[in-house]
Amino acid sequence: MIAAFCDWLAATPVSQTFQDWAWFVPLVQTVHILSVAVVATPVAMLAFRLLGLTRLGLTLAVMVSQFMPWIWSALAVLLVSGMLLTVTEPARELLNFAFRAKMILVVVLAVILTILQSRLRRDPDYWTRPARRGAARSIGVASLLVEILIVTAGRWIAYV
Amino acid sequence: MSIVEALQRLQDLPFPTEIRESAWLFPTIETVHVLALVLVVGSIAFLDLRLLGWTSRPRRITDLIAETLPWTWSAFAVAATSGALMFSSKAVTYYSNIPFRLKMLCLMLAGFNMIWFHHVSLRRVGGWDHGAPPASARIAGGLSMLLWITIVGAGRWIGFTT
Repeated sequence: MIAAFCDWLAATPVSQTFQDWAWFVPLVQTVHILSVAVVATPVAMLAFRLLGLTRLGLTLAVMVSQFMPWIWSALAVLLVSGMLLTVTEPARELLNFAFRAKMILVVVLAVILTILQSRLRRDPDYWTRPARRGAARSIGVASLLVEILIVTAGRWIAYV
Repeated sequence: MSIVEALQRLQDLPFPTEIRESAWLFPTIETVHVLALVLVVGSIAFLDLRLLGWTSRPRRITDLIAETLPWTWSAFAVAATSGALMFSSKAVTYYSNIPFRLKMLCLMLAGFNMIWFHHVSLRRVGGWDHGAPPASARIAGGLSMLLWITIVGAGRWIGFTT
């Protein structure tokens, strides 16, 4: 059924037009990678901070409040550019195991970031209280691991 | 020995040959390259945006540099190593590839831009560490952003032309 949907989507005028533009996929992929940078760097910095590996001049709460607008905006750009790539080459993405794994992992990352952000809204010291050291470290490890897996799955879409 | 002959010898070495012939080595090295390069570009953008005066305005530029530079350099070391390994697997092909040459040129220009910024703008940082960056710093930040966007674009373009 998904294969039939891919065939239909690939035959639509929009998809055909994008396919005809040889520069379209490389250009959208470039926007996609640049947006990955805008998500991955602050997420890695937050993760290192949660793990206690870096001592930056800003508190965790300030870092989160400054980084999150960038992260969520870049995720929106990633969603749009990812959809454009999918419309152009539906079978390459939708029938691909790495693509499906990546989509699940992106949802997991969004949930982790929402938890991180929402707790701080009520209590700016939530993650820095000694009692939550374990929870903070878990969030740090999970976000770093999920981020690495997302990039890995993303690159392997081209190979599996 | 010409450059092409030297590159041919390089890609005939055992490990480059293995990368070329293996089904998983190239994609794995490429994945490491992507992970590293997004951190290079992301951490440089942090600084560039501050130099342009668009973000982190209340923060001292020297603090921001001290915090982001370790990220940039460690990620760059990984990106350069993984990049060199990928290059070695098809050195002759990459050498004549236009997007590859464009990428190397922009990397060099980004390096010069950084050196110029450190030795010219940053030397007189005392006067603007906390405030609006002078024109020379804004130009360096803008140039850096443009160059790194081009580097990523050219890098992606290599994959469509080799």
